[in-house]
Amino acid sequence: MNYQFNWSVLWSGQSGVWLLQGLITTVEISALAWVLAAALGILSGALRTVPWKLARALATFYVEFFRNVPLLVWMFFWYFGVPPLLPRAVQDWIFNHSAEFWAGMFALGVYHGARMSEIIRAGILSIPRTQFEAAMAMGLTTFQAYRLVIVPIALRLIVPPATNDSLNLLKNSSVALTISVAELTFQTRQIETYTAKAIEALTAGTVIYLVLCVGIAAIMARVERRFAIPGLIARGG
Amino acid sequence: MKRMLSVVVAVALALSLASSVGAQPDTLAKIKDTGVLTIGTRTGSPPFAYINKNNEWVGFSIDLVEMLVKPEVQKAVGKPIKVEKKESTPPTRIPLLSSNAVDLIAGTMTDTPQRREAVDFSLTFFYTGAQFLVKKGSPIKSVNDLAGKRVAAQQGSTNAKILREKYPQAQLREFPDQPAAFQALLQGQVDTYTNDGIQLYGLKAKAPKPDEWDVVGDFYSEEPYGMALRKGDAKFKAAVDAGLKTGFESGKYFEIYETWFGPKGELPYPLTPQVKAYLLKQIGK
Repeated sequence: MNYQFNWSVLWSGQSGVWLLQGLITTVEISALAWVLAAALGILSGALRTVPWKLARALATFYVEFFRNVPLLVWMFFWYFGVPPLLPRAVQDWIFNHSAEFWAGMFALGVYHGARMSEIIRAGILSIPRTQFEAAMAMGLTTFQAYRLVIVPIALRLIVPPATNDSLNLLKNSSVALTISVAELTFQTRQIETYTAKAIEALTAGTVIYLVLCVGIAAIMARVERRFAIPGLIARGG
Repeated sequence: MKRMLSVVVAVALALSLASSVGAQPDTLAKIKDTGVLTIGTRTGSPPFAYINKNNEWVGFSIDLVEMLVKPEVQKAVGKPIKVEKKESTPPTRIPLLSSNAVDLIAGTMTDTPQRREAVDFSLTFFYTGAQFLVKKGSPIKSVNDLAGKRVAAQQGSTNAKILREKYPQAQLREFPDQPAAFQALLQGQVDTYTNDGIQLYGLKAKAPKPDEWDVVGDFYSEEPYGMALRKGDAKFKAAVDAGLKTGFESGKYFEIYETWFGPKGELPYPLTPQVKAYLLKQIGK
């Protein structure tokens, strides 16, 4: 194959600005979606283990419904499906104010919330039942036991799988390009179409995703060590 | 150690030899060896190249290759050849060509200066330009009415590029494919959808209620479609151009045009005098 590499396409012209814009959009949409996913995940994950039947049923419905439909479909749902339900004037307003960004954020957050929920539930289920009983015996209400004992411990236990899913969330944000969110993958492809240099553009995108993900993983590893409760978890070393 | 060195030298020599062979593509020799001209074309771009209701892969671009280019290539290699078709899409077509998977791209590819750095183009075989698809009665009549309007375009298209650079007052929304962009227009996420005029006519014709839509505006970009071939292959380019030239001169090209774009064709799109003059100017008429 007589492909001629030309790496300068990545810093000549507007490529650099585009990559930076794409990076910012990716980080913004992922960060907001992550906050939403974490909130939904903690709430529904905890609710799935409480002794109230209705709350459990609602949380189970949320998880099964949202994690079993492809993310791409959720993107289209929030962008094409939801706005027509709103009054015309509201529609026009949101279409003029980055509707695609918010639709993408919701799709990503709600989808990953369902996955996060399962991780949190696993964390809670791994806590011995006696912890809960001890909390009750101390005179805490169920809500207090969850807020002060169960959830804080569970969150410490689930850092590794939660990191994994957070990285997935970041990478899945690229699906938002289907509803015209100009995130990192979108900009990578744009450079490709402007310069006809596919390998260079994709390499730039890959390296940026890699650096982002490795960075997040490193931060999460620190978080894990910082908040570990001595003596709680058996460690290899 | 010495032996290893000689192996390294031999490998390096072989590689440099291979790359120097690769640097001078000779498609005609390849076609002569195999008896096959492989074209990369589209499967869903009626009437240029698409799979029709009878499950046949047909279209205007394919007919041009079969009826005009093929005879000329046969003359050049001195034996009958077959035309084989492979699917190519905008992101894959240049890689397919440079990796020798196909010999000629004949679909809906616009001839642009940037692309000319990677591939060579034949004579222009179709000419269109960017216009706007709007709901009937829309205030958008041309590229000058876009201030504050939400405009859909296809990701990576030349139209999107022009709008971004020259009409930043429009709110550009870029979708990966035509169905998504059209859906956004149907629902009001965007006020208009811009693409090559011919594509918009095709979309309008297939819409649930064609009468509700208008294609408006003068061409604000030039979209000359050409057939792409590997860079620096002068002999092959000469054969392809000769085929198209013969078609323009004999009128055969215009017959093929009528079949696809005439009043009874797949998609009526009359050949305007300006476009006809543009096409003929290429052969000095």
